[in-house]
Amino acid sequence: MADRATVDTPSATSTRPQLDAAAVTEFSRDRGESASLATWRARAATVLARTELPDRVRHLWRYTDPGKLLPGKLLAATTDSGAADVAIPDTPAVVLVPGQPPRLNAAAESCGLVIETMHGGGDVTEGLGRAVPGEHGYFEAMNAAAFDAGLVVRAPRNLDLAEPLRVVIPAIDGADVLPRLLVIAETSARLTVVEDHVGGDSGSVVIGVTEILVGANAEVRHVLVQRWENGVRGHLTQRAVLERDARFLGATTGLGGAMVKVDLGAVLAGPGARSELVGVTLPEHRQHLDHHTVHQHTSGRTWSNIDFKAAVTDRARSAYTGLIRIEKDAPGSEAFQENRNLLLSERARADTIPELEILTDDVSCSHGATAAPVDPEQLFYLASRGLPAAEALQLVVRGFVESTLCLMPADLREEIETLLESRLRRIGGAA
Amino acid sequence: MTANTNPALFTCRDVRVSVAGKEIVKGVDLEINAGEKHALMGPNGSGKSTLAAALMGHPAYEVSGEIRLRGEELSALEPDERARKGVFLGFQYPVAVPGVTVASFLRAALSARQGREVPVREFRLKMQESFDALDVPKDFAGRYLNDGFSGGEKKRLEIMQMLMLEPAVALLDETDSGLDIDALKVVSAGVNKASGPDTGILLVTHYQRILDHVQPDAVHVFMDGRIVRSGGPELARELEERGYDWLADATSTAATGG
Ligand SMILES: Nc1ncnc2c1ncn2[C@@H]1O[C@H](COP(=O)(O)OP(=O)(O)OP(=O)(O)O)[C@@H](O)[C@H]1O
Ligand SMILES: [Mg+2]
Repeated sequence: MADRATVDTPSATSTRPQLDAAAVTEFSRDRGESASLATWRARAATVLARTELPDRVRHLWRYTDPGKLLPGKLLAATTDSGAADVAIPDTPAVVLVPGQPPRLNAAAESCGLVIETMHGGGDVTEGLGRAVPGEHGYFEAMNAAAFDAGLVVRAPRNLDLAEPLRVVIPAIDGADVLPRLLVIAETSARLTVVEDHVGGDSGSVVIGVTEILVGANAEVRHVLVQRWENGVRGHLTQRAVLERDARFLGATTGLGGAMVKVDLGAVLAGPGARSELVGVTLPEHRQHLDHHTVHQHTSGRTWSNIDFKAAVTDRARSAYTGLIRIEKDAPGSEAFQENRNLLLSERARADTIPELEILTDDVSCSHGATAAPVDPEQLFYLASRGLPAAEALQLVVRGFVESTLCLMPADLREEIETLLESRLRRIGGAA
Repeated sequence: MTANTNPALFTCRDVRVSVAGKEIVKGVDLEINAGEKHALMGPNGSGKSTLAAALMGHPAYEVSGEIRLRGEELSALEPDERARKGVFLGFQYPVAVPGVTVASFLRAALSARQGREVPVREFRLKMQESFDALDVPKDFAGRYLNDGFSGGEKKRLEIMQMLMLEPAVALLDETDSGLDIDALKVVSAGVNKASGPDTGILLVTHYQRILDHVQPDAVHVFMDGRIVRSGGPELARELEERGYDWLADATSTAATGG
């Protein structure tokens, strides 16, 4: 497993893994990556060296201990044969595993997208770090320096991708993965990417970064499916940057893992840009699922909406922090944000902090957050019609997430519902 | 009292209900035979809704006494179990469940009541039939349960549910309140349709009006947690004319209906 470039660190997860620029450069060279990428990584390594673990005092990290998300070993050159078991659909799909070339199915080869590994010799640094630079934060710097499963997906100008591209990223049993996606939609291109995080076990850590560059008048729909196995820990960062008249829809389902933080966002950088972030998370047992969403309006005449719902059961915990930031130079922007939490058990917990930072007057904004247990009168009403307690509870939860599901891509709705359904059926301890 | 081997359809014996330590229903005896319609009338706050919800098994209430359906004691059963055995409660204030369509709710309810997954096609036909019977607009099926419905629309939907679920005994808590004249006729027709030789109905109401359409076999006056008088339809007319004051001193002697 370990090769010469490996830097051993103690396995205690609260210890910061060490990484130096020389090791990073060697890792890059061993892989035959371009010189420009090696340089890019080395710079990220120096950023990482001077970046502290995220400060718990900040809202963003108030509810989750970053020390618990640290991988043990960086540049471990992990590969996984188990990932070969991943089910591949007939529609365009890629499986992304460290140390292996990305596995594209026939539909992905012929769909018109340009899909290439970051670990070949090609220069992939164009656009890299534009949406999520190493300076974004500790985990992002770590990923930039040490990512081991990188993929670029480019939709050429005017391409209208009929079927979604599925990027399957398996977590690896007992090991770390640092996946990195760069999605580029050129002018007037349209595509949907499903980023599907699967697999893993209690020894797995995933530190992922996804950058999405949405060109003028282009449209990207990004569906993040987080359905890791029990015990996986992870940190995923996704940012989209929207040019003039670009549209972005980020849809998230947070289902798996033990302790997970997901940071989702879009920068509305051109007039006429529209972005929507919608998410549903259903933490159960002792899961700790933390989501952050941000819409940053750097251009005027932009529109954004966030709708995030958490239904929490057992002793699980959801944390949500949301930020709408409207820059001084972004008059005429509209931004909305709503976070609702449903508590399904006494010991379930949901925290929410919606924030607004508005630096100009000429805006229209609203935000709201609620957290409440299920209304017992609703349950009594449903019970009075013969629905057993668990079924009644499940129906209320389905109703709760319904309006958010309606905002997700309609053509993927069935798939998303099926995913949620497997979880919903366990609510209330039903068979 | 039924001493014979064929018990009354629905009986209450000394039913008492406390909410948050306060006794609200103070000993109710009631007997509804198959085929009968009873009216329960009484002033605001006398405990009619509390009684009805307690009979359905509301979890927040402390209930003592006997509640029997065809002789079977219901007191220990959860509300959903009572419902599946054929008890129906028409709510005074039907509860909204946002995000859940009327159709998906009705299918779940019908499947629960019938103890089998009712196939979509069969369900659709049955729903359409019930919608037509109550002049319920077709778009109700796709709307969210009681969410944004007008008061009258909610009441129609309650009656419609009763028709679909075909209960053995229906407790209708002010299903006639807040209805316009046409809606009242529709709802009354629904009640009459649900009423049959095997069915019992308890109609909680403030108004004589519905009793012109639904001929009750017995009328009970409910005051301060007790049935203080029982009689025939003429009692309802008397209440309409005289109000309740003249009964205020009435003793709490148990009354049986029918
Ligand atoms: N959860 C509760 N906590 C405290 N008091 C309650 C509760 N529920 C009902 N009550 C009280 O019990 C009494 C009876 O209420 P109930 O709703 O049964 O009356 P009602 O006869 O149905 O009145 P109305 O004709 O206005 O519908 C009222 O005084 C009410 O305030
Ligand atoms: Mg009442």
